[in-house]
Amino acid sequence: MARMKFLCDADRCIECNACVTACKNEHEVPWGINRRRVVTLNDGKPGERSVSMACMHCTDAPCAAVCPVNCFYTTADAVVLHSKDLCIGCGYCFYACPFGAPQYPKIGNFGSRGKMDKCTFCAGGPETDNSREEYEKYGANRLAEGKLPLCAEMCSTKSLLAGDGDVIAQIYKERVARRGYGSGAWGWQTAYRESIAT
Amino acid sequence: MTKIFVEMRLVAGALAIAFVMAMAIPAVAQQPSSVNPNAAAVKEQQLLQQFKMIQGLGTIPDVKSYVLEHPAGREWREYRMVTLKWIAGIAILGILALLTLYYVTHGAMPIKAGRSGRKIQRFNAFERFVHWLTGVTFVILGLTGLNITFGRSLILPWMGPSTFSEWTEWGKFVHNYISFAFTIGVVLMFFLWVGRNLPTKADVEWFKTGGGMFGGEEPPAHKFNGGEKLIFWLSMFGGAGIAVTGFVLLFPFYGTNITSMELAQVAHSTIAVLYIAAMFVHFYMGTIGVEGAFEAMNDGTVDVNWAKERHLLWYEEEMREGAAQGAVQQPAE
Amino acid sequence: MLIKRTDRQARSGLLAALTSQSNGGLDRRSFLRRSGLTVGGLATLGALPLASVRQAKAGPPPAEGAGVTIRKSICTHCSVGCTVTAEVSNGVWIGQEPSWDSPINRGSHCAKGAAVRELVMGERRLKYPMKLVNGEWTRVKWDEAINEIGDKLMAIREKSGSDSVYWLGSAKMTNEGSYLFRKFGAYWGTNNTDHQARICHSTTVTGVANTWGYGAMTNSYTDIRNSKTQIIMGGNPAEAHPVSLQHLIEGAEMQKANVIVIDPRLTRTAAHATEYVRLRPGTDIPVLYGMMWHIIKNGWEDKEFIRQRVYGFEDARKEMEKWNPQEVERVSGVPGAQLERVAKMFATEKPSTLIWCMGQTQHTVGTANVRASCMLLLLTGNVGAPGTGANIFRGHDNVQGATDVGLDVVTLPFYYGLAEGAWKHWSRVWETDYEWLKSRFDAKQVMETPGIPLTRWFDAVLLPKDQVAQKDNVKAMFVQGHASNSITRIPESMNGLQKLELLVVADPHPTTWASLAVQAGRKDSVYLLPVATQFECKGSRVASNRALQWGEQIVKPIFESKDDLEVIYLFAKKFGFEDKMFKNIKVENNLPIAEDVLREMNRGSWSTGYCGQSPERLKLHMANQKDFDMRTQRASTGPCKGDYYGLPWPCWGSPEVKHPGTPLLYNTNLHVMDGGGCFRARFGVEREEKRPDGSTVKISLLADGSYSKDSEIKDGYPEFTLAVLKKLGWDTDLTEAELAVINKVNPATPDAVSWSLDLSGGIQRVALKHGCVPYGNAKARMNAFGLPDPIPVHREPIYTPRVDLISKYPTLADAKQFRMPNIGFTVQKVAVDKGIAKEFPLILSSGRLVEYEGGGEETRSNKWLAEIQQDMFIEINSADAAERGVKDGAWVWVTGPENNSKAKMKALVTERVGKGVAWMPFHFGGWFEGDDLRSRYPQGTDPYVLGESANTITSYGYDPATGMQEPKVTLCQIRAA
Repeated sequence: MARMKFLCDADRCIECNACVTACKNEHEVPWGINRRRVVTLNDGKPGERSVSMACMHCTDAPCAAVCPVNCFYTTADAVVLHSKDLCIGCGYCFYACPFGAPQYPKIGNFGSRGKMDKCTFCAGGPETDNSREEYEKYGANRLAEGKLPLCAEMCSTKSLLAGDGDVIAQIYKERVARRGYGSGAWGWQTAYRESIAT
Repeated sequence: MTKIFVEMRLVAGALAIAFVMAMAIPAVAQQPSSVNPNAAAVKEQQLLQQFKMIQGLGTIPDVKSYVLEHPAGREWREYRMVTLKWIAGIAILGILALLTLYYVTHGAMPIKAGRSGRKIQRFNAFERFVHWLTGVTFVILGLTGLNITFGRSLILPWMGPSTFSEWTEWGKFVHNYISFAFTIGVVLMFFLWVGRNLPTKADVEWFKTGGGMFGGEEPPAHKFNGGEKLIFWLSMFGGAGIAVTGFVLLFPFYGTNITSMELAQVAHSTIAVLYIAAMFVHFYMGTIGVEGAFEAMNDGTVDVNWAKERHLLWYEEEMREGAAQGAVQQPAE
Repeated sequence: MLIKRTDRQARSGLLAALTSQSNGGLDRRSFLRRSGLTVGGLATLGALPLASVRQAKAGPPPAEGAGVTIRKSICTHCSVGCTVTAEVSNGVWIGQEPSWDSPINRGSHCAKGAAVRELVMGERRLKYPMKLVNGEWTRVKWDEAINEIGDKLMAIREKSGSDSVYWLGSAKMTNEGSYLFRKFGAYWGTNNTDHQARICHSTTVTGVANTWGYGAMTNSYTDIRNSKTQIIMGGNPAEAHPVSLQHLIEGAEMQKANVIVIDPRLTRTAAHATEYVRLRPGTDIPVLYGMMWHIIKNGWEDKEFIRQRVYGFEDARKEMEKWNPQEVERVSGVPGAQLERVAKMFATEKPSTLIWCMGQTQHTVGTANVRASCMLLLLTGNVGAPGTGANIFRGHDNVQGATDVGLDVVTLPFYYGLAEGAWKHWSRVWETDYEWLKSRFDAKQVMETPGIPLTRWFDAVLLPKDQVAQKDNVKAMFVQGHASNSITRIPESMNGLQKLELLVVADPHPTTWASLAVQAGRKDSVYLLPVATQFECKGSRVASNRALQWGEQIVKPIFESKDDLEVIYLFAKKFGFEDKMFKNIKVENNLPIAEDVLREMNRGSWSTGYCGQSPERLKLHMANQKDFDMRTQRASTGPCKGDYYGLPWPCWGSPEVKHPGTPLLYNTNLHVMDGGGCFRARFGVEREEKRPDGSTVKISLLADGSYSKDSEIKDGYPEFTLAVLKKLGWDTDLTEAELAVINKVNPATPDAVSWSLDLSGGIQRVALKHGCVPYGNAKARMNAFGLPDPIPVHREPIYTPRVDLISKYPTLADAKQFRMPNIGFTVQKVAVDKGIAKEFPLILSSGRLVEYEGGGEETRSNKWLAEIQQDMFIEINSADAAERGVKDGAWVWVTGPENNSKAKMKALVTERVGKGVAWMPFHFGGWFEGDDLRSRYPQGTDPYVLGESANTITSYGYDPATGMQEPKVTLCQIRAA
């Protein structure tokens, strides 16, 4: 079975934010929730690099480990999903997540959080695939339709790759070999406990 | 000789020209004549080694989203899921074990002279209110808090996911709201009793003899003996600690970043479990551990003999202030 | 127990401290801002049940049993021309899918393209026509609105003449829309018709066309993959054309190319460059000449290319030799060693291409800038081959098309100009009597004179009548799809807004025309007409690479909005000339059929080669996108086999000729029927020049020994006319029918009928048959005689901090251009006399952000985009910020040199701009001089994000050849608020 991963080739990312709005579009994510974001390092200086970041769907996901109500589950594709019905909005998954993926709607009364929302690798949630209930809670389920996450599919420079981890690692390796440089598969060491030898 | 002069003049001339040319460079700041942005690209491993956390800039107002990667989240997970549980387990179970052992071997502390039948007021209505406010909220907070840490492994299996989620979600709300009452209780308690809990010589004596709990006479004490003062200060610091960290957790990222939030959670949970462990001692002492102690908080009065044995110095103070024998004291304050 | 009063205070203090930031405190406003709930008009999240992502409504996923249709259109946000694939169910646009098959974008988008579905959800759109009554926005019906507007316009025409109504069209209209809009202007009787190209690439079109024939991108985005050296000078495609970076970066990776960015800012494009060159804004000509200096010094120029295909090199050489490294560095700040290295790469590591955008065009020397760029390309032989060329990145999705169809003050459709010959050509095509058309104008003279550029619209309203060379001032503005806050000198324009007799805004959004009009004090005579976005209309659009793409109508116009074509038709009807105007265009339910409009364009556009792109051929391309190869842009199989994607113009001959299109201009390596070409013979066959000794010599302007592959004429040749065909003996190849048409075009002298006037297309067909290019084969001009500066010359911007350079490099003298006085010289002089540069020491430049487009009213009304960029800001160098006590994220006042202008915004302290330079994005609007104008918009139509406009601060300065404005360089001062 394919092991799904994300890879952002920072040497191609131009911070165009297509991944951000594609996600908003596909799942009608409300204002204030940012499943995917682009972070720019060394902004305005030589060496500036941008990285698109959302849930990395880690191996041995720390969010799943710390959840007090065990609302996470990992699919056969290694996509880390959770149930909003079980989530109590405690915020612990955000503390554990090395990538800041969990998002919470603010529902008033001081810092109280609503149900956690995060990137689903366009794989929906526990409800029936492509049902209205699944869409209302988690957004679209592209994986069930045989498609890949829209953020990567719409990336303007083919910087963000998503899909079978072996395939995208191979693509990245070939790219780096061909062009002669690569600043690394950001987040892979932390998320998947591996790096790509280039 | 002339040749040297000629050479010197040539050299001087060359230097002069160079000097003039150097001066002729425009006053505008010199730009570097080579900038290769691609080659200067930052690398992940280099940044992680340097800063332990990778942080940059974004455009959305959510400032914490500018943290790209903080592997320390894994350390926090390790602490919460493993280390904390060990600490809690050892502290709480350990204390319970020690208390059980003590009770089994030493039994409750009796009123040696037996009950006199006469009562003296120890705690007025307000003091009892503050104590129970703090105590009851403490228990609720403790239970709901322990549920967050241990519920998943101990309770979820037999409650089932949906029920446990609902239970824990209510627990979260209760914990959040009750925390204010608890904090108020702690603060009130502080101002109420801090004067009575300042360390004195009597306490030194009390500790020297282990408070009479391990054989020997209990030295005379003021309103609160050394042990009780210890409990008081543990409660104050513990209470302050979990209140402050608790409020930080209650208002996440209001001036804090991910690292300080994790730290707050670590502090909150660690102080909490140690505090709970310490409070078991107080529960024990206030209920089965010392005969005649519970009524002090129940109706506010204690037996006079109990007062003489446990808190002689306080009893004498009260007497001096003209409390009538045999009558329940009216609140003097 | 008693609690002392002080304790109580301490406690509340403690509590307050626990709930506030440690410095500054957290007030409700910043708390709400953090929650993202302050945005006006947005439903609060508190109304949602905890688990929901969004409110249930019409939208994805499709309802049970409902089918899903796929429709394709083109993204409306830039000229790359990405295909947008839409999933439609029950008439509702429910999702976007990547357009894998497109040989241009291969499924990719940028933030805007990935968010276009939101545009037809339309939460902030203008829903129905509105009218300003006593300062209040009131709803009106369409019929009412058209009648009232029409009557008012007729009254203005009666009193002040037809030229007093300004028809401002749009680069967002499809070809059919912009063509009809121009035609409408002609039938109304004015040349005051313009669109965004004026403020965008007008200087490019004029400068480049005057160099070698056409003013368009010579190669294409995908062709850049073949370049070994890319120079991006005056452009930031990472933010303005993000999907183009797919080709630039991947191409550079594969070619191990040099990517050189020359820009005052270390932009997001520069971050991916192999060399970054920082220059002072407005000094492009010295830098370009600086490169040319090194090239000729070292003998790196392409001598053979120059000999065969370039005119005027010796004249140009004189100017090049002036710019030695010291002078270049003195003026522009670029170190000599760096520039030499760049020049060497460009000249010797070929093929090399030069890419530019607003950084070169939006200056008083814009035309000269682009001409200098062309000279650099000609000098190094980098034109007319794969991987080379002037890769001009146009702006809007259809600005190329709108320019080509002549929505422009200087010409009729397809660059025919405004001379009598041009009018007669179009009267033939339109089958409308030339005399009738002439009668619509105030005078024949003004019919043949270019109109007023949109950059001067308010000057045309405000200046004394005798300074405006038409019957009267401009009295009414009809704006269909153009922003107001993208035009410089907003404070002046407010006076114009106040003085207008009528303002009509036909747009999906009210725009800052509406909010600034109310702010300026207008109480009435403003109409807002809701027009649909291009996703609700069908039609063809032209991407920057000259390729035409046909977009389907994805959903019907929402609310009461109408298609551009329908609006034009209804007004034509109101004015009584709809029968004449739509003689050959079918109209159903007041909506002209777009395909018929394109067919009419095919019939009249011989000059530009829009004649071969019939609706049928274009639709076939869209249906068979997958057959086109991304690298060659050619279909090797399928129904479109042999065509280049989008039939890039010139696509010669009628559709039956099946010319494949020309993806690469001036390419002599290919046969003309394979997309080959050569430089256009546009400027005459020969020119008389004076020798130093006083004698004259005739120099041929035709190519010397260079010709397109397999051309039967193996040398330069003039443009084809019937006379030329006769001379070659090729006139016998014309059919009877073709000859008949030629005779009808010019019965008096049929020999004079040229390849561009021949309505039969026969002359073109015959030329093509013999392997020749219909427009001739000439040399490109380094010396563009006839332009204000025939050889480009550096001139300091109107507002410059380098007053020491003005005496040597002054701007051009005051003159009358485009019916208006251009007093740039006086303004520059006054600025020096008043010591403006001391009071306003920072150079202010402006530019783009990826999240927004143009004036920004549409994109800031798109909630998915607006969230990502919520504040207007100014970039300020850290040293400058430190001097002024300005902290990152703090509020600042920016003041400008004219009209006591001021604007309030946040400061972004960064190294991106150099010391002494500040930069603002120009997309914001809805604030003015610190006042929030949200309440000036009709209820529910204010964009989510508002902010100060950069053009509140920008100032006077107009290119003499085109009237282009100068928002790229002015002066300002910044102080902490």
